[in-house]
Amino acid sequence: MSEIALAADFAIIVVVATGIGLIARQTGQPTIIAYILTGIILGPVVFDVVTEEGLVELMADLGFAFLLFLLGLKMRFEDIREILPAVTNVAIGQTVMQTALAFLVAWALGFGTTEILVISLATVFGATPIIVKILTDKDEITSLPGKIDVGVLIVQDIYLVVVLALFTADELGNAADIASTLGIILVMMSFIGIFSLFSSRYILPGLFRRIADNKDVFLIVAIAWAFLFVAIAEGADLDPKVGAFLAGISLAQLPYSKELEDRITPITDFFILVFFATIGLQIDGLSSLLAYWWQAIVASIVLMVGNFWIMFYLIDREGFDVETSFLGSINMVQVSEFSLIVGALAIDQGYIGPDVLGYLSLMALLTMGVSTYIIAYNHAIYARLEPWFQRFETDEEKDAEISTYQNHAIAIGYDEITERALPLLEDTYEEVVVIDRQTDHIEALEEAGRYEYVFGDFRHTEVRKEANLKGAKFVLSSSVEREVNEALLEEVDDEATVFVEAERIDDARALYNRGATYVVMSTHMAAEKLSEYLELYVSDKQTFDETIARDVEGIRARQGGHRRAGADGMATGGRVDDEPVDDADRTPGGDIDG
Amino acid sequence: MAEELVITLAVVFVTAGTLSLIANHFGLSPIPFYIIAGLIAGGFESVTQAEIIVLAQWGIAFLVFVFAIRIDFGDLESVLRDAEIAALTQLAVVAPIAFGVGFGFAELFGFTDPVRNAVYFSAAVVLSSSLVGGVVLGSEIRQNLVHGRLASSIHFFDDLIAIALLLILSTEVVTADAIAAQIGYGVLFVVAGLVIYRHGFPLVVRLAAGDGELVLVGSISILIAFIGAAEYVGLSIVVGAFAAGVAIRSDGTQALEVQNGIDSITDFFVAIFFVTVGALVTFPSLEVLLIAGALTGLVLVLNPLVHVLSFIYEGYDARTAFLAGSSLNQVSEFALIIAIQALLMGTIAEAVFEAIILAAAATMLITFLARRSEDTVYEIVVARLFRGQRTRKVDERSHVDNLTGHAVVVGYGRIGRRLVQTLEEFDQSYVVLENDPVLWDELNAECRNYVLGDALAEYPWQKAQIDDAALVVSTVDHRPVSETILEREPDADVLLRSESADTASELLEAGATHVAVPNVLAGEQLVSTVEDLASGDTDAAALEQAQLEYFQTLERYGFASRDERI
Repeated sequence: MSEIALAADFAIIVVVATGIGLIARQTGQPTIIAYILTGIILGPVVFDVVTEEGLVELMADLGFAFLLFLLGLKMRFEDIREILPAVTNVAIGQTVMQTALAFLVAWALGFGTTEILVISLATVFGATPIIVKILTDKDEITSLPGKIDVGVLIVQDIYLVVVLALFTADELGNAADIASTLGIILVMMSFIGIFSLFSSRYILPGLFRRIADNKDVFLIVAIAWAFLFVAIAEGADLDPKVGAFLAGISLAQLPYSKELEDRITPITDFFILVFFATIGLQIDGLSSLLAYWWQAIVASIVLMVGNFWIMFYLIDREGFDVETSFLGSINMVQVSEFSLIVGALAIDQGYIGPDVLGYLSLMALLTMGVSTYIIAYNHAIYARLEPWFQRFETDEEKDAEISTYQNHAIAIGYDEITERALPLLEDTYEEVVVIDRQTDHIEALEEAGRYEYVFGDFRHTEVRKEANLKGAKFVLSSSVEREVNEALLEEVDDEATVFVEAERIDDARALYNRGATYVVMSTHMAAEKLSEYLELYVSDKQTFDETIARDVEGIRARQGGHRRAGADGMATGGRVDDEPVDDADRTPGGDIDG
Repeated sequence: MAEELVITLAVVFVTAGTLSLIANHFGLSPIPFYIIAGLIAGGFESVTQAEIIVLAQWGIAFLVFVFAIRIDFGDLESVLRDAEIAALTQLAVVAPIAFGVGFGFAELFGFTDPVRNAVYFSAAVVLSSSLVGGVVLGSEIRQNLVHGRLASSIHFFDDLIAIALLLILSTEVVTADAIAAQIGYGVLFVVAGLVIYRHGFPLVVRLAAGDGELVLVGSISILIAFIGAAEYVGLSIVVGAFAAGVAIRSDGTQALEVQNGIDSITDFFVAIFFVTVGALVTFPSLEVLLIAGALTGLVLVLNPLVHVLSFIYEGYDARTAFLAGSSLNQVSEFALIIAIQALLMGTIAEAVFEAIILAAAATMLITFLARRSEDTVYEIVVARLFRGQRTRKVDERSHVDNLTGHAVVVGYGRIGRRLVQTLEEFDQSYVVLENDPVLWDELNAECRNYVLGDALAEYPWQKAQIDDAALVVSTVDHRPVSETILEREPDADVLLRSESADTASELLEAGATHVAVPNVLAGEQLVSTVEDLASGDTDAAALEQAQLEYFQTLERYGFASRDERI
């Protein structure tokens, strides 16, 4: 028994990473640094107790694949369509110019000819996992600079896949071989890309419509979808991560993608830890790491500064404003993790020795380490430098800021409790966002087309962010789950009005203590109402009959109201917002529905 | 190497995903379909390689971990009250019979360790699955029906027994000393878990300073540390995972995010676990089929039978007993864990192992199919068998004077209590109809007239003298009950309760005098409160004050919910 369970290497990585992560958190360092440091400490450089083999390698691969799947999930075409041409220009320009810069630097530092070629091909700027991770943590991945960066990284990844494929191909004797290999790669990628787009339009909506209500099946089918693409990519001799990314993109176009993001994020967090640790593990030993130490430092500084200006020039040229250009560029000042992979491949093929890999690794570590801080404090840095950078300000600049909800009302759950209140909320707060976890409710909302909606479980951070809970003025929750409502009260603005529901008195008290404006208790209301009826029945039969007759009308009027109209295709007269009875005790009657 | 593993995982997930679509289409639990996916994926040899088995073990660890995190020790008391007699009868009656059958097979086919194999067999018969049961009973548990509560209590009890069994069975050689040592370690682990729950975990949360990812990774580190310690002293990893789960707080504001995270990771590994388990079955031999058949038979027939009898003995009505008992007829996922651990230890015969897995897949499916024909089976078989018992039992546990022009109140929950008080105030004669024997003491102490029986059966209504009643008020939001009342076409006025306005309209069509819809009432109150707030008629402080006073009144009269589970 003892030898199987847990794959000790992996277990050690997780525990040590947690420890270092907690320490790092105290000193305000990003967790990525802690994870890479874990790898360095456990790997050949310090203790040499963990090797990057078997399960560790698998989990690192899974981590990266899930990260790209997640990245794909965030890519809604409607969000990036307008900046796509600009991004492509930037990416191509950046790749060419910084390869040239890396070539010059390597040449100036006196490396041999083959080494210079490998170094300049391997020194690609912009490390996808680092940028995506930190920007996601900072909640900036969907901001304009974030989108530009991600767009550039994706175009760049395609380029890297090609470079990798070229390095792994055994026979690259002449130009014809290279061309045909390239051709095959491009054809395969476009084939998979087309399949992903096709399925996102024709297969997935129907499929996920059926399963989105079942949270287990939902997750497993989504993971299966990712693995299907991974397998296809693997089968086509492409990088499997590209498959994961395309699978993510095809799911991103569905209304359920936010919910899915939240389910996939923890799995990614778990595996990506191992991935970052393996970066540290790959370094062979202290001596080769430090073989070219001063060259690496010089190159890092020159390339970071140089690449910043390359990016800044390219983004600015596309007409974005100075702040966007600045942030978009300064996020990208680290060597990609691909440089280590390319370096390792180059060693296998005998193009370079371990010392050059050490040089690449040290450069990667230095730039990644420094850049995590730069990205983490990018706004503060810009605030310092803004006066100077204002000189690049021109008049005609794109304003592609992404709109979010603000000062709006949020309803959690679209049911008979909340739907009555929605028209009233719309009048008062203009914008109403409904969060619901059931596909049929969302469809009814979609059909009615009157309110904004987010599909997803309110427990999930991503869902709350999407609805901008923090900026809401009014929140109405029809969930009776205490922890959901507590989380809601925790996150919402202090000034906001919050109506929640509770099943039990103790829960209701706790919710008031946490700042709820009003707690609805439907069971007690039903008790109240029934007991009222009884009282009338016993004391005054005639009034009872009258009241009942009135209230029955009220119920009849409700039926065929909102929700039915949504589901039945407006058979009841086309008005989805029929206002039935305002209060069961007021006189309703036939005059409501015309 | 890693590429091959990725491809293997792709095979695992794509088959599991495809089959779970079928499960979803028919509204079944995906678990048996994962096992079947494993049977199919077993064709790929790589699925059962060492690395994947390790991932499957992670599935076990997370499964138990999540189970332990969710345990609310406050619930234990009521679980024990519900499950004690039935579960112990099960252990006393079914376990020995199953052990005998298992031992017989072991002797017949000449397994090396007949006693152990008989224990594995018997565990598979006795334990029932909370994961599958949770899906089967989903709506019943949500609607708070008595049989749903009973069954979930038994599931919970079974899971605890399974963990104790795993603790004992992880010794290589079973001696009194070894078992004592195991139990000692087990207790120590849980105590350590409790200590971390108090001091360690809050520290992690504090150090993480609001970073959910770190709390998540920290929780997993606690899991790893416990599992590592368990392995070090030779305990089953399940015990380590259980203790680790005890250590994680499931309250506090971080809890939601951490639980979501752990749930996602668990779903990922659990799918691998079930598929791998299925993949470990080779083409079944006659021997395997025979054992699996016997196992399935015992689980499907003997198990529910004993449960039903012991529930009836406890005083539940025949329908509740039958419905609760018949949702306990599947092999537990814990039986699979016990089996796979035994396989890794090399103490289970191949045939028994495969039989347990096949029987698990079969019973987990059949339990859903059986569910569909449950009402028919009940009417044709059970109702007739227990007819005599039903009237006698109802007579014994009810108290009704000779009434006329009275009100019949169905259900004695919060609403029921409130109504009884109103009726007493106005000195109106009434009778309460309730089917939960747990409430019998209260009924006896507080109500002038009451009937303890099944609102869906005939006799309790006679007992309540429905034909002479002037009013029937049902506080139970359960469609069949409402329909039964209406089908009787009583002369009395009928007040019902329903979840939605649509159902309410249908019930009105069917003859109800009125139907109260709490959600609609709440919606109306909500709108008027929002309007009052907007117009400045009231403010938040005044609202809160009024509500809190109202709560106090409710509590003073005892209308608050007394028990978390009722």
